[in-house]
Amino acid sequence: MKPIHLYNGCLRSGMGATLAEASAAYLDGRLPSAQWYDLRELGEQRAYLAAPASNLQLEADLEALARECLADEPGPFDDVLLVIASTTLDIGQMEARVAQGEPFHNDLSTSLDRLAAGLRDSLGLAGAFTMNTACTSAANALLYAGRLVASGAYRRALVMAFETPCQLAMQGFGALGLLSPSGHYRPFHPQRDGLVLGEAYCAVMLGEQPGERPLARLLGGFSACDTSNLTTTLEDGSHIDWVMRQALDSACVTSADIALVKLHGTATGANDIAESNGMQRLFAGLQPPSCVLKPYLGHTLGACGLSETLLLLDALRQGPLPPVDYADEAMLALNGAPLALPPEALLLSNFFGFGGNNASLVLQGAQP
Amino acid sequence: MKVIAASEIRGPAGCSDKLLKAEVARFVEPPRRVDRLILQSLLGAAPFLPLLRKDCGLYLAADYPCRPTMELLLEAVFVQHKLPKPLEFVNSVSNAAGFHVAQKLGVEGPNLFIGAGRDLWRQFCEIAALDMADGVVSQALLIHSANPDEFVVRSLLLDNTPGTADSSSFATLSEGLDISRLEIVRADG
Repeated sequence: MKPIHLYNGCLRSGMGATLAEASAAYLDGRLPSAQWYDLRELGEQRAYLAAPASNLQLEADLEALARECLADEPGPFDDVLLVIASTTLDIGQMEARVAQGEPFHNDLSTSLDRLAAGLRDSLGLAGAFTMNTACTSAANALLYAGRLVASGAYRRALVMAFETPCQLAMQGFGALGLLSPSGHYRPFHPQRDGLVLGEAYCAVMLGEQPGERPLARLLGGFSACDTSNLTTTLEDGSHIDWVMRQALDSACVTSADIALVKLHGTATGANDIAESNGMQRLFAGLQPPSCVLKPYLGHTLGACGLSETLLLLDALRQGPLPPVDYADEAMLALNGAPLALPPEALLLSNFFGFGGNNASLVLQGAQP
Repeated sequence: MKVIAASEIRGPAGCSDKLLKAEVARFVEPPRRVDRLILQSLLGAAPFLPLLRKDCGLYLAADYPCRPTMELLLEAVFVQHKLPKPLEFVNSVSNAAGFHVAQKLGVEGPNLFIGAGRDLWRQFCEIAALDMADGVVSQALLIHSANPDEFVVRSLLLDNTPGTADSSSFATLSEGLDISRLEIVRADG
């Protein structure tokens, strides 16, 4: 695909109210403090990485985020495509009403297009849609929005991704036994005990020009469905390997060109094994440095494709990435020492999710 | 990119999941313990089974999440103060429908789920055209599951034969085609 610039990134997450706060904390290796919540029935608690609170309703919060991202952009915005990526959307609002005793009725459950359509109309955008492919939602939003801009269908795109503190997700992942009892988030550690969910709201612009605050160029990517299992991918890593290879091909690069792999790394038993095997298949004994970001942001589900991408890209422009303190015990090569990369290094970024969705993006950092 | 087949399925609000499952079973063995959105999506896709290639992309949209599933989850978590049932939670992930369609129909291409809005068919075609142009897929199956009450599932199969069509709606895209229609008239639920 024709390379497309990512710029004007915004992020509010468990790492801080802004992307700058988050990348500064990440570069210092400062892990966020978790909140703890009760799991129904079990009498146990699980950790959650909450973002700084907003006083706004979700709709206003998202509009403020969109306007922040569009602030340096020339208007009008009738050439901008909006793609929203989220698994929770406005379910939190429905939960609040049911929690207050309102019985469920169909009108409580709003349309999947409501938030995207509202932003399209209030900002005067060319078009908008919601991408919902579980934990690959934002990765797919970036990939398809970037390709739509590259194809000339739209001049610019605004990709927004968010996950709210939704009890259905917080309890649902508990029901699946995928949450870490210790709250110690350690992807690829032999004694990893599951994931920690995180809250995030993020946005980025995509266009043929680098914009005021350039972050990277999207060079390619690939997304496909592994139909072997609804909640896990093939443990031998073959589907992940195939997706990564297709992503590299789409960017016209090879595995030898990759300077850093941002792993999906959920810290669940099966998925880390599958990703390790996929990495071994692709890189054999020549694995480039790899990093994991979920210990910092939590697993931000449908938003992780953007929240992790923004954190990584912004941090890489400022200094060496912090080491992983358990690198010598990890199942695959994580960076055990501060990792500095050239600004224009090539990155491979993995995102895998429920529904068999596996996606990989190829990015190239922008000059500071 | 050319539309080669079209399907429209309608059913009343009272149509049970059991009845939907029986309709799906005319084409493929229905998966167990799945929700209504998954069954509707399968019903929309299954008539195309004989025409599908392995590299077909699947582009699925719905107006709403599966409301019966949402009600069960909310009832469990907020009324009964229990953990949701794992399968009900997994079914609530919107692209679970895409997974089951892909698995039952044996397609392995991109599998996207989007919220259906006013420009749905144009957006469907824009996205599918990208994958066709890049050689990622040689076919695209577009499925829209509309209206949670009296449901309507509209589906189109496109291939990479050169052709143009007005993508503004299902009607314009399927113009001139013999649309496969199914009306489920019995309301037994």
